[in-house]
Amino acid sequence: MTTLWILFLTALAATFVGFFAPARTAKVFTLLGLVAALVSLALGWGEPLSAYGGLYVLDPFAQGFTLVMIVGGLLALLADCDYFQRKGWPPFEYYALVAFAVLGGHVMASTAHLGVIVVGLELLSIPLYALAASRRDEASYEASLKYFLLGAVAAAVFLYGIALYFGATGGFVLGAAGSGPIYAAAVMLLLAGLAFKTALVPFHWWTPDVYQGSPAPVTLFMATAVKAAAFAAFARVLAAVGLEGPVFYALAALVLLTVFWGNLTAMVQGEAKRMLAYSSVAHAGYIAIALFGPDPAPAMGYYLLAYALSTGLAFAVLTQLDDGRGVRLGELAGLWGRSPLLGLGWTVALFSLAGLPPLVGFWGKYLVFLEAARGGQYLLVALALFAAVIAAYYYLKLLGAALFAKAEKAEKIVLSGSTPVGIALATLLVVLLGVLPGLGFGLFTAANAIVR
Amino acid sequence: MIHVLIFLPLVFGLAALVLPRQARTLGLVGAGAALVLGLVSFGAYLEGSSGAYQVPLLAEAGVYYAVAWDGVGAVLMLAVVVTTFLALLAAHDVPPAMVGLALLMESGLLGILAARDLVLFYVFFEATLIPSLLMLGLFGGVGRVRALVKFAIFTLVGSLLMLAGILAVRYLGGAPSFLLDDLVAHPLAGAAGMWAFAAFLIAFMVKTPLFPLHVWLPDFHAENHPSGLADAMGTLYKVGLFGLFRWALPLFPEAFLAFQPWLLALAALTALGAAWTAYAQTDWKRLLAYGALSHMGVGALGLFSGTPEGALGAIFLLAASAVYTGALFLFAGSLHRRFGTLDLRPTSGLAKSAPALAALGLILVLAMVGLPGLSGFPGEFMNLLGAWQASPVWTFVGFLAVIAAAAYALGAYQQIFHNAPDKPADDLDAFEWQWGALATLAIVFMGVYPKLFTTALQPAAEALAALLGGGR
Repeated sequence: MTTLWILFLTALAATFVGFFAPARTAKVFTLLGLVAALVSLALGWGEPLSAYGGLYVLDPFAQGFTLVMIVGGLLALLADCDYFQRKGWPPFEYYALVAFAVLGGHVMASTAHLGVIVVGLELLSIPLYALAASRRDEASYEASLKYFLLGAVAAAVFLYGIALYFGATGGFVLGAAGSGPIYAAAVMLLLAGLAFKTALVPFHWWTPDVYQGSPAPVTLFMATAVKAAAFAAFARVLAAVGLEGPVFYALAALVLLTVFWGNLTAMVQGEAKRMLAYSSVAHAGYIAIALFGPDPAPAMGYYLLAYALSTGLAFAVLTQLDDGRGVRLGELAGLWGRSPLLGLGWTVALFSLAGLPPLVGFWGKYLVFLEAARGGQYLLVALALFAAVIAAYYYLKLLGAALFAKAEKAEKIVLSGSTPVGIALATLLVVLLGVLPGLGFGLFTAANAIVR
Repeated sequence: MIHVLIFLPLVFGLAALVLPRQARTLGLVGAGAALVLGLVSFGAYLEGSSGAYQVPLLAEAGVYYAVAWDGVGAVLMLAVVVTTFLALLAAHDVPPAMVGLALLMESGLLGILAARDLVLFYVFFEATLIPSLLMLGLFGGVGRVRALVKFAIFTLVGSLLMLAGILAVRYLGGAPSFLLDDLVAHPLAGAAGMWAFAAFLIAFMVKTPLFPLHVWLPDFHAENHPSGLADAMGTLYKVGLFGLFRWALPLFPEAFLAFQPWLLALAALTALGAAWTAYAQTDWKRLLAYGALSHMGVGALGLFSGTPEGALGAIFLLAASAVYTGALFLFAGSLHRRFGTLDLRPTSGLAKSAPALAALGLILVLAMVGLPGLSGFPGEFMNLLGAWQASPVWTFVGFLAVIAAAAYALGAYQQIFHNAPDKPADDLDAFEWQWGALATLAIVFMGVYPKLFTTALQPAAEALAALLGGGR
């Protein structure tokens, strides 16, 4: 309850503060609001809460996923390095839109009612369409348009799924018993709609273009918070319909396609944001692997946190380098010399994304694979591990571009505003949770049941 | 004390990364402290204190931070602390960050040896890769990126497959946790055991290394910093035999016996093939890389025999070769400092102008060849004893490598030191006197008093052989 209200008021306030005060104030306001939401979340941690006649269910599962979204939102705000001010654009909408999107994600994660999920989904998506276009150039508009058109189609698919679900079961709340071809069609349509949001292959086509075209801090937000929200809904729907028969095979096929296609195509990219976009596609596959286990919520939550921190860190570094035309690998050269903090953050983020211990990314991978192994899916685990090796190749390539190559430019990068705080904090957390994995995983073990 | 020993190098390493000016001092103090602590720990181990410690790391998933010294771990630990200290003493002209990374690697290696939990072992095993990759990538030669990708991909393919095996061994075997004792008490038999063993085997074959998964090794050594610091640390990182001894064979005795004839053949071919290839090398580091590969083949032959003698010999050889191979890489660094090249050909007749350098080189080379009285011999001999009991034919093939060793090692030595004098070179400098004396001391001590180490290794070797049914 409190969390929902805090997020709502933050979004509202950020909108109006921007009219009267400088953008920086709106930023501080939004940051404080997100931190307050985090605190309220922590105060009720582990205790399920239900309101509005069961339409809003803040169970431990939703708490875990909301935590990840807020972390993503905070990182996106902290690491924006006054990206928009630097370009001379009025930036305060950025903060308000991020706050609205986090609110939408939170709603999406905290309900088992399909109608409310759609409201959350749209509340999350529409600000993102605007954010994607916020750099106001060709690439940015193109990203926004693609995202919007495909997003609208996906929402339509999802809505049609809801209609069929209602037809088959007579209700909008997940968990109703159903059978027959209409029910099966409903389930497939619901999952397809959410697979688009989570960017599972072959529903991922928007990701590379949108990630590359959007301003870097927006991409950071999309890759972290949005993914968490989408997976929350995905897991809830899947837990309600059960993982049997065609759904099982469909999901297994999606997972394998995703990890292999994502990693293989990432290998041949020449631009860092696009490479990380494909990498995020692959990571969605790893997260989905946890769904094969008997109790996927803790592993998924932890992986998402690990992934949000690592990917967030990587995109935060790219934010400092992105001049609107993307970041070619050659431009990364000499990063350590130009800014040791960025170099350190980049190195840590990539090793973590590649899943090397003792960094948080390893434990995330380990836990989702463990979950699938507990479900008996050894073949799936072995194949996905193979894909992880392919991933190591391009992470090394990205790392090598920054560390091992001769510098094209030598001038120092001066970090401004809250950027050093954001990058240092994320780096610290990636290492700390890697050394003491129990610390982070302990947060999610309360989320042991997905409420239907 | 065991935690201090494992993490002290890490602390000093991080400090050296932050304070590049003091890196050399920090490196020497850190590695020196680890050396002293290591000797004390070894002494304590001989008196029966293993320093066992256990605390949950990820309790819900059955992962523990569990460490202890057993005989095998303790002996190899000594090799690690001695060689790291030697390397940091010798490599006085490396970039400061390299000192820090070497210390980080030492921490990881000690963790690998001390870990008593399979996931913890895996964590250290993989974590050590990071400083190793960074040293190669940051300070390597022109072909470093190619070498790095090769090294990383080989290692990661193996170890990620092993991760699948790790998950299978616990959940199919039904062990309550990943602790070594729990896993051994719940063996995984049948076809699942075969697959899991194969996964472990690939990971450890890459890291032993054994034919045909050794391909990363020559490039890795050839492209690393010419001082040889990273090569010495890389040699210590060849923990495949240890991994087989500690984890793969005890967890899957049944699967191992099914694979045994093939593995013996593979080990013998590695030993001979590598020695043969080493003979054709004209670059110091490539020659040493193939020479060390040949040694690992001999060690693997002993270990795969499944006999107590062979198992003991394998670990002894691993420990001993870590010291003299590491020292030989440092020696190559000394030559590079003098001539600016690692090529064997442009220099000859050095013994005239640099007699002490020649003497040091000779000691190291003879240790490598396996001259009785130096540290190479006891391990090789026990491997021979063990391997013969399992398969005389493959033993014959494998031990042809010992003859070949004399050919490539002494051939190269003669080329550099004994042919007609070419151009003069400086004799040993102060740094070289220090590390050379220390290395000689270690090599001679291990050669003339192997009993100290074999006593520590004996129980573990016999336990393993008993588990494997004596290899017959």
